[in-house]
Amino acid sequence: MKNFIGARSMPDLIYHSPNDLDDLMSLLKNAKQKDGDFKIVAGCTDFIPAVRTGRWAFNDGVNIIDIKKIKALEYIKKEDNMLKIGACTRLTQILESSQVNENAQILAQAAIQMASLQVRNTATIGGNICMSSPAADMAPALLVLGAKVTLKDPKGEREIFLKDFFTGPGQNVLKPDQILTQISFPIMGNDKAAHFLKIGTRTAVIISVVSAAVCLGIKNGVCENPKIALGSVAPTPIRIRKAENFLNHKILDDPTIEQCAKIVFEEVSPITDLRSGEEYRKDMARTLVRRAIVACREKLE
Amino acid sequence: MKISLSLNINGQDMELEIDAKQTLLEVLRNNTKFQSVHRSCEEGECGACTVLLDNEPVNSCLILAASVQGATILTSEGLIKNGKPHPLMKAFTDELGIQCGFCTPGMLMTSYAVVNKSGKKELTDKEIRKSLEGNLCRCTGYINIVKSVKQAQKAKNAGEWW
Repeated sequence: MKNFIGARSMPDLIYHSPNDLDDLMSLLKNAKQKDGDFKIVAGCTDFIPAVRTGRWAFNDGVNIIDIKKIKALEYIKKEDNMLKIGACTRLTQILESSQVNENAQILAQAAIQMASLQVRNTATIGGNICMSSPAADMAPALLVLGAKVTLKDPKGEREIFLKDFFTGPGQNVLKPDQILTQISFPIMGNDKAAHFLKIGTRTAVIISVVSAAVCLGIKNGVCENPKIALGSVAPTPIRIRKAENFLNHKILDDPTIEQCAKIVFEEVSPITDLRSGEEYRKDMARTLVRRAIVACREKLE
Repeated sequence: MKISLSLNINGQDMELEIDAKQTLLEVLRNNTKFQSVHRSCEEGECGACTVLLDNEPVNSCLILAASVQGATILTSEGLIKNGKPHPLMKAFTDELGIQCGFCTPGMLMTSYAVVNKSGKKELTDKEIRKSLEGNLCRCTGYINIVKSVKQAQKAKNAGEWW
């Protein structure tokens, strides 16, 4: 629950700003042995509010490892039919990128609806994923693109699917000395369409009440390989497999879409919190999925 | 942890002694006394603390000052030239885009960046509202603010701009 009592002062910080990945790795190696908390940050647009509102408390001070200066983590590039995005790429860079707009427009669509111009100029895509909020707007869009994330620690790096990354609200598989370096996904062909929608308590600068992303293709008149992902309806952003399986190889007429949306309604189990009630979230999950599928169908016609 | 920070604020190079826990907002207000940068929500909702960081509008309350070593900052004080108000400021007063004035410095900085970025293209009401989504005003209802930005853009296209 949000704290309305007022802003808390910042804890004592020891600030580290590695210039490249090697610096960062040696810092992480030592940080493990050092006493006290350390936190890896980039844009800080979630870190500072979390401290100010008391969600995170560091009574004995905290070591801040700021990875924003590492230029090797700031890129958008096309390689082997994959789009690769560095973790420290800012949201503004994503929504203005021609690579993103040509190859994964759904990401730009999600990014433009996030926070405000000022926050988008600072916040990074990696930060949005690593905070692992169930309401992270990048997550549903990346989930339907079949994204993978690269995790790196002093011992080496590995790549896992984004769907296996989240473990709970604000929780993920990252170890304390591990960072997320890259998000990558296969480039969508012209035979596929994707659409992102979100609903909030107002239209701007708002955390999603429900967000939905759909990606599908149509081949020989039937829907092929649909992917449906939702935010804010479960402890983590999720894919709705049952609805995807139902939709696969079906003709996308209105009753089928309605039926698919109904499965979504039945599958999700959101909570009631200060942004919205459970019933409303379920209803909106159904509505957004229906609208997103219709939007994809229109794009492919 | 003490840090020495060099910044270019409103065209002036400055060497500052700051604490690592200070946000850019605190440094601008307390260390350098640029008090047009207003402190309000301190969590990125209201935009009253908006400044331009390397020509891009950002919430100075959400940035650790230590992380912007060597950056160029512009606050609304920096828009004034030789004691003359900027055409953007004139537009806000002419079109009554101001009432209590608390949100105004933030509004000015966001509008300044948006108008600069738009080139010669006329922004629509919708585009202006979208770009000002991160600046809250509790007095004017935004209509006059949108009008002010439009007038400012005309002034820019007419060559009265810096």
